[in-house]
Amino acid sequence: MSTNNNEREVILSIRHVDISFDIGKKKKFKAVKDASFDIYRGETFALVGESGSGKTTLGRAAIRINPCSAGEILFNGERISGKISRKQDRNVIRNIQMIFQDPAASLNERATIEYCISEGLYNFHLYKDEEDRIAKVDKALEDVGLLPEHKSRYPHEFSGGQRQRVGIARAMIMEPQLIIADEPISALDVSIRAQILNLMNKLKKEKNLTYLFIAHDLSVVRFIADRIAVIHLGKIVEIAESEDLFRYPVHPYTISLLSAVPMPDPIIEKQRDSIVYTKEEDDPEASPREMREIRPGHFVYANDEDMVAFEERLKKLELYNAENQ
Amino acid sequence: MINFLKKHMFDKYRLDKDFGKNPEETVSPEEEVAVNEDELFCQAEFDEKKSEIIAAPRYSYWKSVWKTFVGSKMNIAVSILVIFIVAFSFIYPSFSNYDPMDAPYINDASRKYLAPSAEHIFGTDDIGNEVFDVVWEGARNSLIVSLAATAIDMIVGIIVGAIWGFSKKMDKWMIEIYNVISNVPFLLIAMILSYILGNGFGPLIFTMTVTDWIFVAYFIRTQVMIIRDREYNLASKCLGTSTWTMVTKNILPYLISVIMTYISRQVPALISYEVFLSYMGLGLGMQYASLGRTISNYTSYMRGYPHLFWIPVSILAIISISLYIVGQKLADAADPRTHR
Ligand SMILES: Nc1ncnc2c1ncn2[C@@H]1O[C@H](COP(=O)(O)OP(=O)(O)OP(=O)(O)O)[C@@H](O)[C@H]1O
Ligand SMILES: [Mg+2]
Repeated sequence: MSTNNNEREVILSIRHVDISFDIGKKKKFKAVKDASFDIYRGETFALVGESGSGKTTLGRAAIRINPCSAGEILFNGERISGKISRKQDRNVIRNIQMIFQDPAASLNERATIEYCISEGLYNFHLYKDEEDRIAKVDKALEDVGLLPEHKSRYPHEFSGGQRQRVGIARAMIMEPQLIIADEPISALDVSIRAQILNLMNKLKKEKNLTYLFIAHDLSVVRFIADRIAVIHLGKIVEIAESEDLFRYPVHPYTISLLSAVPMPDPIIEKQRDSIVYTKEEDDPEASPREMREIRPGHFVYANDEDMVAFEERLKKLELYNAENQ
Repeated sequence: MINFLKKHMFDKYRLDKDFGKNPEETVSPEEEVAVNEDELFCQAEFDEKKSEIIAAPRYSYWKSVWKTFVGSKMNIAVSILVIFIVAFSFIYPSFSNYDPMDAPYINDASRKYLAPSAEHIFGTDDIGNEVFDVVWEGARNSLIVSLAATAIDMIVGIIVGAIWGFSKKMDKWMIEIYNVISNVPFLLIAMILSYILGNGFGPLIFTMTVTDWIFVAYFIRTQVMIIRDREYNLASKCLGTSTWTMVTKNILPYLISVIMTYISRQVPALISYEVFLSYMGLGLGMQYASLGRTISNYTSYMRGYPHLFWIPVSILAIISISLYIVGQKLADAADPRTHR
């Protein structure tokens, strides 16, 4: 896809994926349209967009909960969308795990923490004997900063942050390669968000993980993501390296998202006011848009006319950034 | 900061100590005590793990159900009543020598239609039998039939309903079967079956359950559908959990309370069912007493000898209501929201 990333190994490749839901009889709602991006092994790739933009839908397509209506998804070079063998399906489950948005809803309230964490171990028989399983559960609890005596507790006895750590432990115990974290901190109290992010970063380093990190707020991902994709109404509008996106945001929707982040940057501050973002998709006269590389590794959804405006904006930003270096 | 604290502490110290003393005699704070700062402020050891400890006593679901249930005196009283009635109706008939096919006092006019008294607790009936014996024999048989039918209904209904709720394919044709069965008059099925199968425990229980299970299954299906797509089930799916394990570990434990509620309505409903069928002559048959048959036999004496009618009816009501209350209270206790 990009020049400077050629040497890196692609772990997950989303290629022209459409995802639609049936609503009523014969009616379809396209929640994700023509999404394409690659995630490289070892990176944290963030998917950012407002509520209802299709982030969860796309993330769930990667673990085969949502079927793709067009396009394909490759994991380690093999297709995992559509009909696949049972062996391949089990392989996907083992190697791609999910951390859920709402820690209150994603744990089985009638099962002990021990069962919640062991569930994957049981399903894949990933332990030699009972002793080994207990040891693994204890280790997983310890990894996320919980105590072995929590095993016999029930989820409702835990705080939100603790529950989310149980959710993380349950995913980690499978020793996956890729973790899809669907807004793992948005349901948590502000005071413990950093704790969970730090924990996820620590585990990533220790276990050589790759993250697809879903968030609706750019400020959250700035410090943990290597690359960021911005999704708007099911369309990916801009993909760039994290710092690049913050320094050279070109797509108007990205800029409007940045308004949620306080920016000590007069140019962007000014642009915020001057740019009213209209739904470009609705304009039937515009020539078709596609993802175009505007800077090395920086893609934006645009057509020829857009490119002119975007490049002009980019020049201004480059000038500004050079002055303020 | 420390100096400030020291100063204030010493000021206070001096005030207390020097109260009522001559100012000249007081010693200056500097000379008085050399306070060791380490003693005043020792660093509290920060243990991150400590903040994770849960202080609440260990929670166990079934223990909490039990505690909540026995926490109410009314629950205990009604439970004792139920246990007593059930035990009595199972034990007493084996001592009473009552045989519905036999009428030993039929020619003894002095034993007929006696009102309840110390000698004849519930009085005697039209053929000189003890109503007490007849009623308990009948209660036992009615309980056997309704408990067996409830067990069969619930077991078949829960298993079928759980799979039905999960499988979209199965839902399509099960709904059709459900629609057909729920529109066929039950009495028609009961009549046909009773002609084919005859009377007795087996045929009656079969007749009562042959279509009834589908209502249980439909109820369970709806409940399963409600919680099937909850996020924790999605999480289990992402961990590779099989559908069967999902049913037993993720779904049914959530349904304990509603299933208890259902049972608490089902047992009394099936007792009335039995009464109704026996009343219509489709029940257990002549050789067995049952509450339904007893009531139907005695109905004609409602005017002349009201005890003959009202005693079995009251026993029926007491059994049904107390079983219902215990079931409801158990269902309440099984709902974790009532646990403290
Ligand atoms: N099962 C479904 N059936 C029909 N429509 C759906 C379904 N799931 C999601 N959608 C629709 O798809 C769109 C995208 O939903 P999605 O859950 O992916 O949003 P999101 O970006 O994750 O939002 P949030 O930040 O609120 O979690 C929404 O408009 C939603 O209504
Ligand atoms: Mg979402």
